[in-house]
Amino acid sequence: MNTLVKAALSAALLVGTSYNALAVERGGTLKYGRYADSLFLDPVLNDANVDIWVLSNLYDTLILPTDDGKGLKPGLATEWKVSGDGLTVTLTLRDGIKFSDGSPITPADVQWSLKRAADPKKGIWNFLVGSIQDVTTDGDHTVIIKLKNTDPAILAALTVFNTAILPMKAFEASEGTTDEEKAKSFSAHPISSGPFVLQSWDHGQSMKLTRNENYWAKGEDGKPLPYLDGIDFEVIPDDATRILKLQSGEIDGAEFIPYARVDELKQADGIDMKLYPSTRVEYITMNVRPKIGDKDNPLSNEKVRQAMNYATNKEAIIQVVTHGVGSQMTSFMSSATPLHKGDKPLYPYDLDKAKQLMKDAGFENGFETSLLVLAGNQDEIGIATAVQQMWGQIGIKLDLQQVDNPSRTQQYRDGTFTMREAAWTDDIADPNEIASYFVYSPTIGALHSGWKSDEADKLFEASQKEIDAAKRADQYAKMQDIYNASGPILPLYETPYPVALSKKVQGFVQIPLGNNIFGAAWLQK
Amino acid sequence: MPLLGFIFRRVLQTIPTIAFILVVTFILVRLLPGDPASAMLGDRAIDADVQRINAKLGLDRPIPVQFLYFTKAVFTGDLGNSIGLKLPVIELISRRLPVTLMLTGMAALIALLVAVPLSFVAALNRGGAPDAIIRGTFQIGLSMPVFYVGLVLLTVFAAKLRWFPVGGYGQNFFDDLYHLFLPATTLALSLSAVLMRNLRAAIIGVVGADYVDFARAKGLRARVIMVRHVLRNALISTVTLFGLSIGTLLGGAVITETVFAIPGAGRLMIEAIYGRDYPVIQGLTIALALLVSFTFLLTDIVQAWLDPRVVR
Repeated sequence: MNTLVKAALSAALLVGTSYNALAVERGGTLKYGRYADSLFLDPVLNDANVDIWVLSNLYDTLILPTDDGKGLKPGLATEWKVSGDGLTVTLTLRDGIKFSDGSPITPADVQWSLKRAADPKKGIWNFLVGSIQDVTTDGDHTVIIKLKNTDPAILAALTVFNTAILPMKAFEASEGTTDEEKAKSFSAHPISSGPFVLQSWDHGQSMKLTRNENYWAKGEDGKPLPYLDGIDFEVIPDDATRILKLQSGEIDGAEFIPYARVDELKQADGIDMKLYPSTRVEYITMNVRPKIGDKDNPLSNEKVRQAMNYATNKEAIIQVVTHGVGSQMTSFMSSATPLHKGDKPLYPYDLDKAKQLMKDAGFENGFETSLLVLAGNQDEIGIATAVQQMWGQIGIKLDLQQVDNPSRTQQYRDGTFTMREAAWTDDIADPNEIASYFVYSPTIGALHSGWKSDEADKLFEASQKEIDAAKRADQYAKMQDIYNASGPILPLYETPYPVALSKKVQGFVQIPLGNNIFGAAWLQK
Repeated sequence: MPLLGFIFRRVLQTIPTIAFILVVTFILVRLLPGDPASAMLGDRAIDADVQRINAKLGLDRPIPVQFLYFTKAVFTGDLGNSIGLKLPVIELISRRLPVTLMLTGMAALIALLVAVPLSFVAALNRGGAPDAIIRGTFQIGLSMPVFYVGLVLLTVFAAKLRWFPVGGYGQNFFDDLYHLFLPATTLALSLSAVLMRNLRAAIIGVVGADYVDFARAKGLRARVIMVRHVLRNALISTVTLFGLSIGTLLGGAVITETVFAIPGAGRLMIEAIYGRDYPVIQGLTIALALLVSFTFLLTDIVQAWLDPRVVR
């Protein structure tokens, strides 16, 4: 074949592929395998990630998170303005927005939804909008939020599931007398403001969504989103079965792929193995109280904690447990969390330093301690056996106690645990959520560890009101320095979200906060 | 009618059994560490929220008071709402239990269909090659974990050959049968092995009995001898074993339902235990206890029919 023909052919192929990449196709139902079913689809009263991660497909918020999870883009509101004193947020609603039943989305719906989200008597997420004092409306398009105090995270909070907009009249007209009863009957057949509508829900088996014909956003082809006719969520708890279903073509996507299978699926035909950046961090929490029960606790000694940190070969754990999928943490908050600070791994492996620190702390001969491990969880067992062996080299004899999750939570909440493994994911594109749980002692006592830093507490309180972005970044930088140096956690790794999709699936995103966004997803025929 | 009296006595005996199971379950779930609110809210929960929710669920009351409410609820037929799913327990059970019943029923049927003829083949060829092959195969089946067998069957017959769907549940009766074939086979494997061993031994015992020789001497046809004399008598102990195995089968359904993504009662129970969903655990325990008791009752009746001496 002469060069000219080859060139022409390549050009034609290139045009063909790029044309394919541009031309979205409409229609079809995407089948997605979830590891667990949702429990309760009310944005305010729900409690679990399994609910949160699909809610954004049913309900829209005023502002939406960008695909990288860090920025803001217009949602039901096209514009927003924070006043000079930082105490008022004025939002302009989009023209002609409608709920799935065709009724208009009014400022009154927004006012009612936001007040409900901020009510401390409702749900566990109200703290995210705890600064809201009042919400008023002005005309057909304007919503004004008055704040009790300046709140630098308020705009980010307006992207979070609990501030989703629901139809006030339809909700209030739902069966039941209390808010919870109404939420129950409303969420069985909800009227949506997001790209999809709940069609049917067979608890524990499947949830079917269809497109919201009245959705406001437009696709690349100029017609309303979503591209898909619907989504079928199938509940497939077993990892291996979920993957088999994808391989046999019975489903188009599967979440929570075990790290051990990622490489294999990267090579598999017809499968697009995605690793979406996430805010997920994996760590070990240590109880730092001087005594646990009536026994002295060596972990209360900062040097001991540092020694254990240096003695932990995190890179090895990343290779063994996550099969190289994870990366080392550079701060207690993930690198996908806004205001994260840090460019090098915390506590690089250094056995000599660890031994010296143990000696300095007066534990040259080591000690015995224990770690709670979630029974049956291969990742946790892998981590536990690795650190057991690694800490053995500095004389620490580690007893692994396998328990079920509620038992572990009980010991954790009671502060009677010694060490436990844990993972965290942000729900809001702001560092205030993770800091309030990890650092700020009044929330849950720094992960129930008993750790407390007056300076960090003060920094957190100040940062909650600071509207000068540079000053706030500085406060977070200091907080991270304090916590990373002496905090009660041993950082292990951060990991992306492994999602395996059929090559036919385009435009699906899982943002770093975990939300599955199907609004612009489509299926190649 | 001695058989009717026997059935009546057995039904009466079931009542204290169920009552005992109820009390024990009620106490046991409350002895488990952790409470529903913490399990539901997870690690991030703050104390105020945990207390608020537990109070709303009435779990801040003394245990005896909780038990009184629970007993009252059972007698009025209202088992309350699931704490996690916020749906009536009765509704959840009535949706999930039939799935498990169908799965275990199918498994039991497959086990019988496999075990009965093969036991005859093995017993009548005692010590020969067919006997060795059948026994060897079942020995392997018996020693393999259910989840592993399930995954192997899924990989071969569903993912590779595409004869069956990879898990899930159907839209109508025949679709359900189609979906449940692999999981039921998985579940049937160890049961059929147990039944086979028992029935084979029983047949060998019966074949040599005097009354079989007598039947043969009378000139009865071999098929009549086999079905009316050998099978009927050999089945007596196997029926008992089969009845007792239903409990084990229900236990195995828990794993099978998870592997095959079947929304049955077994998976509901596991989820309820992890979520400390007390009303669901209690409701399901009652339902399963009734089911197992009913199976035992049925077993006894069949046994009494096969061997009238049992009634006396």
